[in-house]
Amino acid sequence: MAETPISITVDGKLETIRVPAMKRLLDVLREDLHLVGTKEGCGEGECGACSVILDGELVNSCLVPAKQADGSRIETIEGLAQSSQLHSIQQAFAETGAAQCGICTPGMIMAACALLARNAHPSSSEIREGLAGNICRCTGYQKIFDAVERASRANA
Amino acid sequence: MNTVARALHIEPAEFRERNFLHTGDTTATGQTIRQPLNLPALQNRALTHAGYFEKKARFRAENRSALIKKGIGFATFFHGAGFTGSGERYLQSVVTLSVDSKGRVEILSSMTEMGQGTNTVLTQVAAETLRIPYEWVSIPRPDTSRVPNSGPTVASRTSMIIGKLIENASIDLKEKLRLPPDYSTAQFVEACASHAPLEVSAQYQEPEAIFWDDQKYRGDAYGAYSWAVYVAEVSVDTLTGEIHVDRFTALQEVGRVLHPLLAAGQIEGGVLQGVGFALYEKVVFRDGAMVNNQMTNYIVPTSMDVPVIDVLFEEIPYEHGALGAKGIGELPMDGPAPAILNAVEDALGIAFNHVPLLPEDVLFAERRVA
Repeated sequence: MAETPISITVDGKLETIRVPAMKRLLDVLREDLHLVGTKEGCGEGECGACSVILDGELVNSCLVPAKQADGSRIETIEGLAQSSQLHSIQQAFAETGAAQCGICTPGMIMAACALLARNAHPSSSEIREGLAGNICRCTGYQKIFDAVERASRANA
Repeated sequence: MNTVARALHIEPAEFRERNFLHTGDTTATGQTIRQPLNLPALQNRALTHAGYFEKKARFRAENRSALIKKGIGFATFFHGAGFTGSGERYLQSVVTLSVDSKGRVEILSSMTEMGQGTNTVLTQVAAETLRIPYEWVSIPRPDTSRVPNSGPTVASRTSMIIGKLIENASIDLKEKLRLPPDYSTAQFVEACASHAPLEVSAQYQEPEAIFWDDQKYRGDAYGAYSWAVYVAEVSVDTLTGEIHVDRFTALQEVGRVLHPLLAAGQIEGGVLQGVGFALYEKVVFRDGAMVNNQMTNYIVPTSMDVPVIDVLFEEIPYEHGALGAKGIGELPMDGPAPAILNAVEDALGIAFNHVPLLPEDVLFAERRVA
């Protein structure tokens, strides 16, 4: 397949690579940039496991063609922790038991990040709505809600 | 249960209570319940916590003029832990503890961590029994070239059966290290310096009191049962047929709760999966294959569908389970569907006997009744 150059800023680092224009951003991150923290769940935009933040918006990276991401700033799960210091949301997930099998966790944390970025102190119904695009099969969501609440309190 | 109760004009809670098993009673397979069991108290606690009788009366009054009708229902149930019948006897699971001369312990078992918390709980069992810090215990991956056969990670058996083997192996290890009672961690390290490296194994042996007869297919179907009462509150939109679970009370007796946070995580996750089975997850087969095998058309619960779940435990230690634990993993998936269907029946006055109960099922049933 013909390749096209794209430039994306991933977790603060500018990357210029040649990829097929329709390659999924998910695969660009995982295969070309070796950022395998972002997971593939359903591959059809339903489950949110591949969530990343693109120019401030939460997106399913399995639905974003590489060319469309050209010139954008992307935040992934790999960019959250600073060296060995977990991000407050990651810390809250660990403390509340919000992760079980872990496949939804990176996307869930990115969704929580996007939510808290636009609403530092969401109500419980706003938390539910903010995470509605991210499916978890293990936890029943309760501990994930607890984690987001805990992280929002840490924002105070 | 509710259908029979209605036919007999007995209140559903009362009807169950009259038919409860008690300690000393015999089950359908001829198993005598030896464990302390007080189901009336369990059911009472759950119904009281959920405000069952008060809400039932209030919903009945409010529903008369409402398009969205509310209902409350419950299920009282149990789940056997460990393999059925003689399964554990045939498996004869083995675990090994390996300790080095610095007092660091490895648990060798084929149990697989998949997020349920197995490694945490099994570490806890070894560390607490050996009176050493959790950090001194590690669990390598269950590579069969290295670990003994402890059977599969299924059947709500890991904490109860394999945990107990780890507890037994830990007790054996203490003896081999010739440790006095009430030893300190320093004494443990000293003992390891003189006697380790050392390996001890424990193998499952059926407790004498537990027996399943494969020929007559009678006896102790399970070594132990976990018991639970789940109460669901629902809203049913009579125009669209949509059902939402608003509140959920999950009370269970699972022996000693080894790790409250992880145990609650198992219950909450299981309850929501049960909500999915009750209301959304319809597997459609055509020509021998599932046709809706995508997340687009096989609908699982999202964060918008999960009720507020109150998780409550009653703790009665079980002598043959690790530090008193019984099985927990499968239990929470048994109760939600009957509790929810009973709640829908309470809301609409229409009884359903299949799952998943989809909006179209509700609308067709309403039309039939009208």
